[in-house]
Amino acid sequence: MDDQAKTLKYLVSVEKLAEEILSDKHEIVLLDKRRNQNREALRDINKSSQKKCWLAVGSVLVKHNIEDTKELLENDQKQINIEINKLRSNLKIKVNNLRDLEMQPPVPGLMLVPMSNKESRTLATSGLIN
Amino acid sequence: MTSLAAAQVQEVRSITRIERIGAHSHIRGLGLDDALEPRAVSQGMVGQKMARKAAGVILQMIREGKIAGRAVLLAGQPGTGKTAIAMGLAQALGPDTPFTSMAGSEIYSLEMSKTEALTQAIRKSIGIRIKEESEIIEGEVVEVVVERGIGAGGARTGRLTLKTTDMETNYDMGTKMIDSLLKEKVQAGDVITIDKATGKINRLGRSFARARDYDATGQQARFVQCPEGELQKRKEVVHTVTLHEVDVINSRTHGFLALFSGDTGEIKSEIREQINCKVAEWREEGKAEMIPGVLFIDEAHMLDIECFSFMNRALESDTAPIVIMATNRGITRIRGTNYKSPHGIPLDLLDRMIIVPTAPYSHQELREILNIRCEEEDCQMSADALTVLTRVATETSLRYAIQLITTASLVARRRKATEVSMEDVKKVYSLFLDEHRSEQFLKEYQDEFMFNDGSGDGHQMDIMH
Repeated sequence: MDDQAKTLKYLVSVEKLAEEILSDKHEIVLLDKRRNQNREALRDINKSSQKKCWLAVGSVLVKHNIEDTKELLENDQKQINIEINKLRSNLKIKVNNLRDLEMQPPVPGLMLVPMSNKESRTLATSGLIN
Repeated sequence: MTSLAAAQVQEVRSITRIERIGAHSHIRGLGLDDALEPRAVSQGMVGQKMARKAAGVILQMIREGKIAGRAVLLAGQPGTGKTAIAMGLAQALGPDTPFTSMAGSEIYSLEMSKTEALTQAIRKSIGIRIKEESEIIEGEVVEVVVERGIGAGGARTGRLTLKTTDMETNYDMGTKMIDSLLKEKVQAGDVITIDKATGKINRLGRSFARARDYDATGQQARFVQCPEGELQKRKEVVHTVTLHEVDVINSRTHGFLALFSGDTGEIKSEIREQINCKVAEWREEGKAEMIPGVLFIDEAHMLDIECFSFMNRALESDTAPIVIMATNRGITRIRGTNYKSPHGIPLDLLDRMIIVPTAPYSHQELREILNIRCEEEDCQMSADALTVLTRVATETSLRYAIQLITTASLVARRRKATEVSMEDVKKVYSLFLDEHRSEQFLKEYQDEFMFNDGSGDGHQMDIMH
């Protein structure tokens, strides 16, 4: 009986973490979708010559000043970028935790700091990595 | 579709490429269970339980990566599975841990000093792990629209629509991006990646959804799945390179072409020093991880006293790999001296080593090994033939008995039999001498061979005149 309870507890912890990872990944996809939509909108605003534009807030359409809209969108973009980066770095920790729970070795090199752009370029041109 | 099938056929062929059967090709690992207990017969390993268990402990030490600069000596009579254990260790470590295998006599070369050869071998056994990171946009092209501006010099503008299974979006493009898209011949249905930092476009292939667009496609058409998830991804690639590779690329006289030609020559110690500094810097910044690997030196008694004292010093360094040596010598002369020492290795180095002995195989184990080799060499053998072969192995040597497997199977095939019988084994036993019988034959007919009593010298001179 005790064993069963222990197993159940273990399975719950694994499933919970796995579910969290999946939902985080989904979250990133949704955020990226919004990021792309915002980017398209910003591009269109830049091209248009009007002073006002329609803004959809939930299911309501609002006519809004174009300059303010632009600022809103840009702020939103910044926020999304921060959010995505945060999720991505948390994902790494969660994946390693999950592998730890499943008795698997951690992903090699997951926590390494990436080479700077310049460094990886020189390494690539020298033929060391490709 | 035809090209799809053709591509598949080609792939299959490359996997089942002709692999020749080597002496230890049947070994897939150490044959240990999760608790590091050796299984009787597993992954091509038979018997030798104590040595395998010891190797399992060493394996664990290497995997943890905490220790460096240890040496292990596999000692035992010829044909007791020393090389097999080292090979099993290499297989069990996986492709990520550097494993260098060399024979003791490999260090004697005219092009390179002995210590240089050893240093290179040591640095080949130390890996560093580095990571590359890039932001990319990956998606399937839905459409590409290019508009020419009014007039002759009008700037072109364009729009690229990309999608993944989850989303779809437009990108406005400038002249440069249009040019590189046209250069890569990107069209609707292609799956591409765009590097955000450099703007480099890479065509991965055509989407499977578009596989039926045309009846005939070129040979090089490759079909890939439409990408999933977000469009703007972060791609992280972890590379494992050995210190030796870094050395070769940075040695100015050779450059990276030496990596392929294999002609590295000697590498200056200043270059090694610089690289050590750089790697240490990377490690401090968290940009690189050290992976101490394994250097396996077979026939270690072939090393001489200079190499041994060099090894002694090299093992002290904090970036030293784990050195595994194998030898089949007993108490013998250390090469380069007149002193005798156990295993032909000086006592001070021997003192640093943990020694794993291998014992001769039992009758039952020999039978099991021969059975595995028969499977490996694709040879059906009847039970009594195997019994005879096992007896041959106990009386002569395991290697000789393994030689008889292929030869006997050839004899069996000549008489169009599917199975090797006892007669086939006996026939090849009479056809091919083992070392013992050959020696006896020589002793018997010594007088009839050339140059056996010193008078041969004059005889040879006659021939030359």
